[in-house]
Amino acid sequence: MQLNVNGKQHEVDVEETMPLLWVLRDELAITGPKFGCGIAMCGACTVHINGMPARSCSIPVGQVSGQVTTIEGLGTPYAMHVVQAAWVEHQVAQCGYCQPGQIMSAAALLQVNPNPDDEAIDRALSANLCRCGTYPRIRAAVKTAAAKIRESNL
Amino acid sequence: MKSILCVLLLCCSVIFAAQAQETNEAALKTWDKIYHVFSHPRCANCHVPDDNLPRWSGPSYAKTSVHGMNITGGQSRIGVETIMCSTCHAQSNADEPHGPPGAPIWMLAPVDMLWWQQSSSQICQQIKDPNRNGGRTLDEVAHHILEDELVHWGWAPGIGREPAPYSAEETADFVTLWAKAGAPCPQ
Repeated sequence: MQLNVNGKQHEVDVEETMPLLWVLRDELAITGPKFGCGIAMCGACTVHINGMPARSCSIPVGQVSGQVTTIEGLGTPYAMHVVQAAWVEHQVAQCGYCQPGQIMSAAALLQVNPNPDDEAIDRALSANLCRCGTYPRIRAAVKTAAAKIRESNL
Repeated sequence: MKSILCVLLLCCSVIFAAQAQETNEAALKTWDKIYHVFSHPRCANCHVPDDNLPRWSGPSYAKTSVHGMNITGGQSRIGVETIMCSTCHAQSNADEPHGPPGAPIWMLAPVDMLWWQQSSSQICQQIKDPNRNGGRTLDEVAHHILEDELVHWGWAPGIGREPAPYSAEETADFVTLWAKAGAPCPQ
């Protein structure tokens, strides 16, 4: 089976029913997406499929068609995505486990809404759980990233 | 001779009236079965009002509530404004207990097709009204039940969820039967 992840084409020999997260982590050693609940309720495994957020723990790899982007493909330490940069600026992460999923969900939100208010942020990110309770910093970082996106669009 | 004809006509009228009443009662019983399906949580949980909040209700849930995790379908009814339904709902049911159900498309029904906490009479009037049923005749409603993959999910909702009663085929047959009998609605 062919799978395009972060712009790179991979050949994987797996069952079509295997969750995408398993393929990413165990077959391709792409470990940014995390296992949390395994039932799409915590968001730690969030990736993008063709730019749309998806819980990779619950999507069989056979249902994936198109580009998969993980936190590793969103940006790098030397060329960060605007959301990643905002996360650093606000020092959002505490333990950090959920943060790849938080960032992927935030980046997806800002693609459809570059000026989200508190309610929109809460609606979009409430399904990404953070046991450390970094939610206030997440909200602030999303607003900072949104402002930078709007500035760059001027 | 005239009086014999009058008596015959009167008898026929009484018989026809009795038959019509019987047909009407049978049709209403058929409608009850349709309502049983439409008002079932597998259907009604997503036929919600313009608050755009999917519901969690029925025997699979300890209590009735709106969808957890602050989820809204938004005006788009597919969540595009905040988080798409398809973020978690894949094209098939998850195998894990409490995992997300899935179908090739996952969305709230249009606002006009409100079934959540609606009476039998209200849903009956709605499903007959092309302005509120997606512009369909009742034959087309029956066809929709037979063909739509998300509708079919109601009878194959995955582990831990009670399916809707009857089957897609039976429900489509009920609609056809009810329509042929004049599609009466309860008061």
